[in-house]
Amino acid sequence: MYNTLVIIFAKILNFFANILCKILHKDNGNMLGKIVKKLSPDILKSIKIDCPVIAVTATNGKTTTNNAIRYMLEQNGKKVVSNREGNNMETGIITALIKNCTLTGKIKADFVTFEVDESYVPIVFKKIPLNTLVVLNFFRDQLDRNGEVESLILKINEFLKTYDGNLVLNNDDPNVARLGRANENNKNVYYFSVDKYKYATEEQSEAGEGKFCPFDKTRLEYEYYQYSHIGKFKCPKCGYGEENLYTKVENVDLDAKTFKEEDISYEFLANNIYTIYNYAAVISVAKLYDLDAKETIKTFKLDNGRAENVKINGCETIINLAKNPTGANVSLRTLNEDKEEKELLFVLNDNSADGHDVSWIWDINFNVQNVTRIVTAGTRAYDMAIRIKTSGFDANKIEPYLDLKEALQALYKTNTKKYVIANYTALQPTRREILR
Amino acid sequence: MKEIKLLYLYPDMLELYGDYGNIQVLKYRLEKRGFNLIVDKYSIGDEAPDFTSYDIVFAGGGADNEQSILSKDLIKYKDNIKEAVEKGVFILLICGAYQLFGKYYKGVEGNIIPGLEVFNYYTVAEPDRKKRCIGNIVLKVNLNRYEKNNQENLQSDNTEEKNDNLEESKVETEVIGFENHGGQTFDIDSPFGKVLYGNGNKFGDTEEGFFKENVIATYLHGPLLAKNPEVSDYIISYCLERKYNEKIELEKLDDTFEEKCRAQLLEKFLGEKE
Repeated sequence: MYNTLVIIFAKILNFFANILCKILHKDNGNMLGKIVKKLSPDILKSIKIDCPVIAVTATNGKTTTNNAIRYMLEQNGKKVVSNREGNNMETGIITALIKNCTLTGKIKADFVTFEVDESYVPIVFKKIPLNTLVVLNFFRDQLDRNGEVESLILKINEFLKTYDGNLVLNNDDPNVARLGRANENNKNVYYFSVDKYKYATEEQSEAGEGKFCPFDKTRLEYEYYQYSHIGKFKCPKCGYGEENLYTKVENVDLDAKTFKEEDISYEFLANNIYTIYNYAAVISVAKLYDLDAKETIKTFKLDNGRAENVKINGCETIINLAKNPTGANVSLRTLNEDKEEKELLFVLNDNSADGHDVSWIWDINFNVQNVTRIVTAGTRAYDMAIRIKTSGFDANKIEPYLDLKEALQALYKTNTKKYVIANYTALQPTRREILR
Repeated sequence: MKEIKLLYLYPDMLELYGDYGNIQVLKYRLEKRGFNLIVDKYSIGDEAPDFTSYDIVFAGGGADNEQSILSKDLIKYKDNIKEAVEKGVFILLICGAYQLFGKYYKGVEGNIIPGLEVFNYYTVAEPDRKKRCIGNIVLKVNLNRYEKNNQENLQSDNTEEKNDNLEESKVETEVIGFENHGGQTFDIDSPFGKVLYGNGNKFGDTEEGFFKENVIATYLHGPLLAKNPEVSDYIISYCLERKYNEKIELEKLDDTFEEKCRAQLLEKFLGEKE
């Protein structure tokens, strides 16, 4: 009864908050969830969801993949309720559900899809049903905030011991594929993989986690690395790494922008290998629910600073978020795969949401090619300048600015193609300043 | 060409916080001056290295799991490592490696992970896993303690010449880094620095790290040497002069970025405190 009242109160609150936000041109984020959770910590249990719930978790790629799954479902004519970018902790999920439920707390939709912060998977899905969990990857990420990757994986593994819904796993990440063994009785484990692409390497060229077999601590052997520790691995002792694949993406051609999966040819708009992994997950979900993903992948646009491609006064600019070494490394990988001359802007903040520790920039492989100038900005612009200088890039071609406006003025002095990499709190201010 | 030989311990296991950056900084600052840095890597399964044949040994911080695996391996080299330290090989240890070189590490469950016992300090894990010393940290260091600690050695030969060198190589500076450790380290007789901002060896400590003329052991990531060129140059001078047994004047490098970075962060952290 109390929870019913809380929901009604929250709906009314939401109504007025929306009006206020429209007037102020502000986004109320997950304020609603925060208030509701204070009033009733277990409110999620009182929301009635009858349709399938799909969740995506990962270190990198949650937002893109969740958005692509939502887009795929909508293109198949389904009504979808979903959370918004970044609001992926419990309060963000409460916000999304309250906004979309009836006064009696019912969700009327064909599907619910969420991106969920890695550490919140066990917390949220103790309270609401889950039909399909997609796990993309685990990388080191803001160690001062999140702790070690291993403890995060163990938490999810613990949750999965009693979970028997669909589990969609990246077979090419040894830290993800291991989750398929958490519950021996779960027959609904589906592995996806992407076949070796043109720029895969035999040696690991970027910092990564998957070094030892999670089952017997033997050093894993890799046939090739796609990026970071993602690739074709095998434990020489126990054979871990050879699961039956549900989805196998092949013939990836980033120039022609095509790949194949089970004799279906797909076209796409992305320019990097990690997005292809996200698409492999989307295809897996589509197959599970007997839906079509071909049109989705052909037309799904990356935006909002996820490999976003814009023209500023005729100058091609590619903006990408990078909040951890792998994020930055894959961005620089894309930059290196582009043979044109270009300039780079790297914006590095050390605010609370970014993590105060910026040591991770030393895990970035700064071996950049055809880059004529690098501008750095953000609260740690000088740290970044030191990092890049030490990698061997000519110090005279590095320009650090603490002030973002000055940095952008300096960047657009020339008309050379731009790559922009920004970390979490730096991304939106940088985008706004660029798109002005 | 003059060169320094560095042994990099467990690069695939102690690599969590960008500590490898320390080697990159040393390499950069050596090469800019026309010296060479040779890096040999050692990890589990590799042929046993002779620690005494190196000018500098480096090890960083890692995840708990990796650290417990490698501590069993490292202990095989205990005597060789002690010998290297006594002979004056420079030892640079960050975070987990700092702990491993002490007497022991006592885990949350009271389990004792034996250390190398090269140094006398020991570390006790904070029982509450959620409580860690995490944050930016600033130290005041004085890297010239030769006179105080090794008076006898100094008297032995060439007293005059060595005294000259000492005056020249005096390093007194602020060191800026980032700490992230649950372990609380006790029984430090000669710390790396005094804490101006942050925690140190323990929660709210006044001292951080462990220092001897040829040893810097510290919790500081960042990496340590990135924003502290004076510490880098202290290590470089020490290694070159020990190896070539002559006074080597280090050419001044363009440290504009480092200087600006230090000014910005010292203002931010020390200003915050007041």
